[in-house]
Amino acid sequence: MRRRGEFGCAVAACVLALCLPTPAGAFPISGDQTVLPAGSELNEDALLVPREVFKSEVQGGAKSYLVKLGDMAFSDPGILGDVARRAGVSCATCHMNGASNPKLYIPGGSSKPGTFDTTGALFNPKADNHVLDPVRIPSLRGARYLAPYGHDGRVASLRDFVRNVIVREFAGPEPSPEVLDAIVTYIQDIDFLPNPKLGPGGRLSAQASDAERRGEALFARPFPHDPSLSCAGCHPPSAGFLDHQVHDIGSGGLFRTPTLRNANFNAPYFHDGRYDTYVEALDHFDRVFGLGLAIDERHDLIAYLNAVGDGLRPYERDNSVARLREIDEFASVLTDAIPGHDRDVVALAVDTVGGELRELIERIPDIKDTAVTEGRDERRLARSALKDVVLSLRRIDLAAGSGNFDDAAAAYENVRKLMAAAIPAVLAKAEPWSLFNPAVHDVHFAALRQLLKLTDNLQAKAATKLP
Amino acid sequence: MQLRRCRRNAIVVLASKGFAFALSVLLVASWHSRACRADELQQAAERYRPYMVEQIDQSLAGARALRERLTAKDLDGAKREWIAARTGWERAEVFTAGFVPDLDGEIDAWPNAVMGFHAIEANLFGRAPGDAGERTDALIFHLADLDVKVHLMTLTPQGLLNGTARLAYEIGESKSDGGESRLSGTSLDDMRNNIDGIALAYQVIFAPAVEAQDPQLSQAAETKIMQLKELVSVDDLRKLDPDKLRKTSEELIVALQNCAPKIGLRAPTLEEISQ
Repeated sequence: MRRRGEFGCAVAACVLALCLPTPAGAFPISGDQTVLPAGSELNEDALLVPREVFKSEVQGGAKSYLVKLGDMAFSDPGILGDVARRAGVSCATCHMNGASNPKLYIPGGSSKPGTFDTTGALFNPKADNHVLDPVRIPSLRGARYLAPYGHDGRVASLRDFVRNVIVREFAGPEPSPEVLDAIVTYIQDIDFLPNPKLGPGGRLSAQASDAERRGEALFARPFPHDPSLSCAGCHPPSAGFLDHQVHDIGSGGLFRTPTLRNANFNAPYFHDGRYDTYVEALDHFDRVFGLGLAIDERHDLIAYLNAVGDGLRPYERDNSVARLREIDEFASVLTDAIPGHDRDVVALAVDTVGGELRELIERIPDIKDTAVTEGRDERRLARSALKDVVLSLRRIDLAAGSGNFDDAAAAYENVRKLMAAAIPAVLAKAEPWSLFNPAVHDVHFAALRQLLKLTDNLQAKAATKLP
Repeated sequence: MQLRRCRRNAIVVLASKGFAFALSVLLVASWHSRACRADELQQAAERYRPYMVEQIDQSLAGARALRERLTAKDLDGAKREWIAARTGWERAEVFTAGFVPDLDGEIDAWPNAVMGFHAIEANLFGRAPGDAGERTDALIFHLADLDVKVHLMTLTPQGLLNGTARLAYEIGESKSDGGESRLSGTSLDDMRNNIDGIALAYQVIFAPAVEAQDPQLSQAAETKIMQLKELVSVDDLRKLDPDKLRKTSEELIVALQNCAPKIGLRAPTLEEISQ
């Protein structure tokens, strides 16, 4: 849903390329100046986004003001400092909807998609350890159960860890206590995807297959060369499949045990993302700990891991309704911030919501996008209405900035009215000709891909047909 | 008593007749004032026309020079002329999308690189297969068509205000992916020329009328235009401050929205919608 995840690795690569010391001139996106890893594709998965489940909603309630504020700040590049702001990178870029982003690739900062060097010079030269040592981008699902934090488990408190990411890793400005609290509250509200294959105590439920049950038994079986060890010893099913400890598993140091819940969607695996599959990870343990697993046993263990790591509806279709819902939630913090004369939160909301609205507008192709030929009136109406909201938000910011909170409230009332009726109506009419429609999406991105892959200055002379 | 009541009624009648007359005078004056303002704005729009002609002339001349370089198999020269031809075009975007949307699509379609400036850009700066000469011929044809139309088209102040605001919104769009002219690396030039086009349109068409009605409002719009110019005066797209650019572009549109009723126009729409 978040824009910076929209293009997956490609956009992340592109936006960050702006910050890299690449030569001036043509934008380095392909050809000899490529910033995309081999095999990268542009926006292939953009129509599906990770599903986000919130504890507050699962329990029948609703997200609090702090959760909404934190969710919004999580999507705001501004909190991560100047480099991230210019590149349009927010927390949500790496943690799309609170999940991981296995496609994120940052030139010079990633060893492979889904990894990033948090101690590199790109965002904070002061944090640079002069070693390319990217770590896997983790999912934040169930983060409240996963302390300590960091791949080496060095930080006990989630609040301290979040602050460290903002201030140390990204060189962002010191967040206000309220914003920091809000981000932590938001992360703590992100739940695991439900998994009907797991019953009480992390045991397999009745619907498990025989292979999965055999795998469950193997998971608890002591290792042959050291009976004090077992898979379940570090990943106890009754404790969320993690022991909150760090271990040396032969991967180059002491690293925190990750949970296995919802892990099917968290590849690549290990602290540095060296393995793409359970099979590869299991090979590692078999080799390092001399497990001597038979082929059948390997199959059963993999079946078990897949059962434990599963989750209901891990992805959902991106569409205007979902986007509007999120934007509406973000904007709703203004309900409290304007009467509370909270200029900082008003400014944050205007920037973030305005940015999200602009992203939504870009999903409705402009008339100049001649790759999309139909629905011109519908597209114009939707784009126009959304732009009106962007401008109403700007009026809120202008009014609040000058201390005129009555005018800000009036402009906000206009935003609420537009978002309640006019916007959903015009968006619904434009949706068939928007990039949310797979056919339109394919046509648009085929044109964009063609444009981008054609960049190669060195071959230009040879390929250009001159009369 | 009867006489007094009659006299009072007569006074009321006379007074109400006087009021009606005064009201009529005011209405006529107001109508006359609006009509004068509309007439002045229309004249201002006509004063803007030579600039429109100049912009398209410049772009057309650049496209013809580009064609000559292609014929001479001078790729570097062709690239230079392509960039030169963009200058007039980007300034003209104040009116192209609103007044000649079909030609706008033929000349400046994006992202599909099958026609117009960006198709040729892909030929020249990328390694797109295709005939740059043939595409340049088509571009010249469409620009020449526009060059004729720009002399004849009916200009409306409202349409020009809409176009000015629309272009201001575009300037605030994210360029983090390299912008519109990413292959040639000239997206920053596009933006500068867009802002020059906005400044010219505002100053020629709207500023005198707004200044007469509300000097502070006019100053606010001028300030935002100046701030936009400063923001794009960096030497590299990567140095743009996207947040400030977006904020300032939106504040300019808000200023234009505030100006509109003062000069008898509606708040500008940011998409050309059939009324």
